Amino acid sequence: MKKKRIAFFDFACCEGCQLSVLQLDEKLLDLLDHVEVAAWREVMTGESDQYDVAFCEGSITRETDIHRIQNIRQTADIVVSLGSCASIGCHNALKNRWPTKKALEIVYGEQAKHFDSIPARPITAVVDVDYQVLGCPVSLTEFEAVFKCILTGQAYDPPNEPVCVECKRNDYLCVFEKGQICLGPVTRCGCNAICTAFGEPCHGCRGLLDQPNLEAAATVLTADHLHKIMDAVAHQYQLTREEVLDKFSLYNNWPELTFEEDDTHDT
Amino acid sequence: MQSFVLSSEQLNVLFETLMAKMPMMGPKQRSDQPGFYHFDWLKSPGELVLHYTTTTIPPKKAFFPPVETMFSFKLGDPPELTHIIEDTPFVLAGVHPCDLAAIKALDDAYSVPPADKRWLANRRRAIIIGSDCLPDEYCFCTSMNTADARLPCDLFLTPIDRGWLCEVHTDAGKNVLKNIQKDTAQKKDIEDASQWRLQKAEKISTKLNINFEAFAKILEAGGLTPIWKEIADRCYSCGSCNTTCPTCFCFNKYDEFDTTLTSGIRKRVWDSCQLPEFAMVAGEHNFRGERWERVKHRWHRKFLYLFRQFKRPYCTGCGRCSRACTADINMADVINQLAAASEKERSHA
Repeated sequence: MKKKRIAFFDFACCEGCQLSVLQLDEKLLDLLDHVEVAAWREVMTGESDQYDVAFCEGSITRETDIHRIQNIRQTADIVVSLGSCASIGCHNALKNRWPTKKALEIVYGEQAKHFDSIPARPITAVVDVDYQVLGCPVSLTEFEAVFKCILTGQAYDPPNEPVCVECKRNDYLCVFEKGQICLGPVTRCGCNAICTAFGEPCHGCRGLLDQPNLEAAATVLTADHLHKIMDAVAHQYQLTREEVLDKFSLYNNWPELTFEEDDTHDT
Repeated sequence: MQSFVLSSEQLNVLFETLMAKMPMMGPKQRSDQPGFYHFDWLKSPGELVLHYTTTTIPPKKAFFPPVETMFSFKLGDPPELTHIIEDTPFVLAGVHPCDLAAIKALDDAYSVPPADKRWLANRRRAIIIGSDCLPDEYCFCTSMNTADARLPCDLFLTPIDRGWLCEVHTDAGKNVLKNIQKDTAQKKDIEDASQWRLQKAEKISTKLNINFEAFAKILEAGGLTPIWKEIADRCYSCGSCNTTCPTCFCFNKYDEFDTTLTSGIRKRVWDSCQLPEFAMVAGEHNFRGERWERVKHRWHRKFLYLFRQFKRPYCTGCGRCSRACTADINMADVINQLAAASEKERSHA
């Protein structure tokens, strides 16, 4: 069988997911035995525009990004959103809580006019993707699993279980016991509870769980549902809505907390 | 049943003697949070804490690890399969009566054909030493008839004035004590131990207001949907009630290929009926897609289906699910709430 040609592309992000993939070390070499690398800017010089599988990290934040990702989608048989920026919007979507013009002014001041920007969104919001790898940065176990699924032609569904499940399987102490607020109960697992392993609460980097109602196959929560969860958390731990919003908004801004241009938003 | 008295020093000698021969799992203080305990492999007998309150994860993990490799495989014609089953003996110490009752419940459940070979093989490896406890506000073992459970332990320890009363429950237990210095138990020692049990029972504040059969009938009659929905409104479906339960025995299995893509391993992990995908089948049809249906299922499973099959509820009153629930859904409170609602309905009829 002809080897698949793979390529890595980056959009708005820290490129930490690509870097994490390199931390697979020797295992990466074993995995790469099954493929040919067509483009991978962080690793090698030169690139080819002939590829079958495109691993794309980062968020879409400019009109030009939209054209670029659509072009990649047309070229590749398989598109993978690599990491939470590409899959759920992640930190990039924090700016969506301000009108785009205002956000540009805050960051660039008078130079703002030179920049082109649109509300940040994950790659998954612009093109259909075939596989998602979540996490900030990606979980290497999940990357490996997805990579093998691609090679063997299998589908991969990100787990729809909360981080609590992995915490318990590892016999970690529940961080609520230490009086900390943890997003584990509403966050998708697959990270093997890496933060709670080190005594940190979960910050929700792998995104929120699917709606419990499976009739609705949508992978994104409605604003109503998110606000309900936030209110429940606020009530439970006697926090204000703003305090809970702060915790949720680190990673989970798209699309529920995205500013609507017509809305009156006091910031 | 024979009983001996061991001083604290003699008990320590017993654990030292055992640990010289085989590994020992028992409750020890968590290094990351003093005052919290967990079952783990002990580095020395000194790590064992017999006066612990409870643990997040039950000691069933000694026989049914949360994550385990069942076998390795290699594709081919025929494919090669190598089962991974341990056979070295070990000691499981410091098991409270409720958790002993849970191990017995799992012995029964996993013995139903087709029996779970992994559970049974691990059970054969172990010497179990139980120990008595004092309850906290979540415990309701007296309502579940597990406060004084002993089977299937080999030895059972109760704190008394002279040290520890050590009940011998099996020949294996007797063997373990063979070369250990000990006293025969006097009347006073037996009374001390009864006093401990009495004091424990008095300290239990959480109680069920209904007997098992009557509660099973309430569940059987149905019609409690508004209450299930109300409870489900608070539930995150995080599965922690199942993953901390000493009697839950459901698991999931999956394969992991290595990088050659021609060989790999099969793993099994603890699963939870509260997770949305648990009852999902082909075509994405889900038997319990709604959160309230899953919540209802947990009580039905423990207090109706398994109660009818094994003549005992699959709950020991250990309170772990109630402790672990970040939404404060309390096992005993829900039972009492359902009993009260059903009583109210009947008096109106």
